[in-house]
Amino acid sequence: MSNPEVLKEALAGLEVLVCVGPGGVGKTTVSASLALQASLVGRDAMVCTIDPARRLANSLGLKAFGNVETRIPDAIFEAAGLRPGAPLHAMMLDMKRSWDDLIGRTASPEVRDRIFANRFYKALSTALAGSQEYIAMEKLWELRRSRDSGLIVLDTPPTSHALDFLDAPDRLLAFMDNEAARFFLTPARRAGKVGVKLFSLGSSFVLKQLSRVAGAQTLEELGAFLGALSSLNEGFSERARAVKALLADEKTGFVLVTTPAAERLDELISFHAQLVRTGHRPVAVVVNRTHRMPDAELWLQAAALDDELRAAVERTLSEARLLAERDEAGIALLRQKVDTPLVIVPRFGSDVHDLSALAQTAAYLVGDRAP
Amino acid sequence: MSYLLDKRLWLVSGKGGVGKSTTAAAMALAAARAGRRTLICEVNADERIAPLLGHAPVGPEVTPLEENLWAVNLRPAEAMREYVLMTLKLEALYKAVFENRLVRSFVRFIPSLQELVLLGKATWHVRETDRAGRPVWDTVIVDAPSTGHFVTFVSVPQVLLDTVPPGPIRRDAEVMRALLVDEAVTGTVLVTLPEELPVNETLELAETLRNQVNLPIMAGVLNTFVPPRFDDAMMPRLSRWPRLEELAKRHQEDSARSASSLARLEEGLQVPVHLVPRIFSPRFGRPELEAVAKALAPLIGRSP
Repeated sequence: MSNPEVLKEALAGLEVLVCVGPGGVGKTTVSASLALQASLVGRDAMVCTIDPARRLANSLGLKAFGNVETRIPDAIFEAAGLRPGAPLHAMMLDMKRSWDDLIGRTASPEVRDRIFANRFYKALSTALAGSQEYIAMEKLWELRRSRDSGLIVLDTPPTSHALDFLDAPDRLLAFMDNEAARFFLTPARRAGKVGVKLFSLGSSFVLKQLSRVAGAQTLEELGAFLGALSSLNEGFSERARAVKALLADEKTGFVLVTTPAAERLDELISFHAQLVRTGHRPVAVVVNRTHRMPDAELWLQAAALDDELRAAVERTLSEARLLAERDEAGIALLRQKVDTPLVIVPRFGSDVHDLSALAQTAAYLVGDRAP
Repeated sequence: MSYLLDKRLWLVSGKGGVGKSTTAAAMALAAARAGRRTLICEVNADERIAPLLGHAPVGPEVTPLEENLWAVNLRPAEAMREYVLMTLKLEALYKAVFENRLVRSFVRFIPSLQELVLLGKATWHVRETDRAGRPVWDTVIVDAPSTGHFVTFVSVPQVLLDTVPPGPIRRDAEVMRALLVDEAVTGTVLVTLPEELPVNETLELAETLRNQVNLPIMAGVLNTFVPPRFDDAMMPRLSRWPRLEELAKRHQEDSARSASSLARLEEGLQVPVHLVPRIFSPRFGRPELEAVAKALAPLIGRSP
């Protein structure tokens, strides 16, 4: 049984939906479909992704969109035979620009310029593990603050460890509030300067050994960078805490997305447990791309065909049956291990990559169609 | 025409959920069968390879699985320790320095250090020699992170060369980059599915790898390929049974999508694309891996 009413309620009542799950299960499609559905029934909605592969733009019929809200034009709705009840917006995060914005808002012009010029900054904003997850959360908070009502659906990045983003605010807090930077920088601070003379403790045995591994110049430049960053500590901490609070807010819900294939389920089940344990609210588990069981009638019809055709049809039917059985077993396991309502979405004949296909997915998500 | 067996480092990547790990596991099986001393590495993953091959998870230690086949799950903490030990030589020094709390919190901020030590560990195995100076491994297979993270992963040497001033880290980055871009050593294989978006993503990844990372791609693998079954002459004969006709039409669409995906990949990747048919079975285990390995034989090649 599918329980789509939970998503219908969530779309009407919640302010933020965060779609999470393993990579390659159709998370982006589900995120976009949820936002589309809200818009179709008259609620202002916005879908936000950090997807580096531009899948969301593809599925909304747009070439690309930058770090700005893009309103999906009515023409795209019309082409799909749809009519928006309220505006639908989409946004794709540009990592580098989001970091620039964040630093720009938090730092004085002088500190900002020093940070932008540091060669460690680019690595932080584009390549540092976990910074993607953090900036997605940060942007979510920013968006929530700037929009009075309406729904925001966040499509989370494909992480190797799906819950990285839940720790992201904590990791950033640790980053900003890091003991090492404070320790090394305190003498410089007292002298009224920030971020110089990392190696005022230069003769220390520990530092000497560390520089054998990392290189002395690396440590010195990194020290300067951390020094500049740590002057932003207060502003950052406050925001990171606000981001954490938003994720645990009662108006925020998590939609877990998976396919019923066995190899994806272990990950999803432990993921679900972790969400619950950390005080977050899962509203639904969307089981995407579920194969339908071909009914017995089709086998009877196939038996009447000539040999060549019958063999081809029966082979296709048995393949379909096998996939459906495998999916049923997966769904049964999920029901056993997860106490959040499941919403079943069938596998469609073709890829979901235009607005009418998203609307079709949405119909299953909210129960306008039964799987 | 070159074969994977001609290379010592095989990198396998693709979008999440396309069968990257099963492909890597099947390749490992084939390499071991060909008599190569093979090490398969997972990178900071929820371990899948050893269980797929019917063994218990191996963890961060290099562990024998079966004849000619070893596996390891590279994890940042252990890789970091080994990396530092190689530079500092002494365990006691490592403890004094790297188990210092201040240092630990400081080291985390060296950009991409985690990726560096993971990639460093994988490439170190390629260069690892025994006492007689012979390579320990004939073949090292890396089940690399999926698309988005793969670029970060293989870009690490370049990011460090752009970021880090001269010093030991930079020297290591240079060695790693040289190894990755050497086509005589490294074979990069991208796995994908016959669907529009995974194909788009693969083509974008290939372009990024070529233009930004300068990493040559050796081959593509198109997984769950559906060959044609119902030809146009068969369709009219099904018209009396609309639901069977629908079933056959679905199959035709699937196989048409497989064919067009193949054409797009061949054109965009400019390297051979190998087909792995969709395998229908209740669960994916050893017999299924054998079938994948068989399908990939033209890519893997044979031992001379």
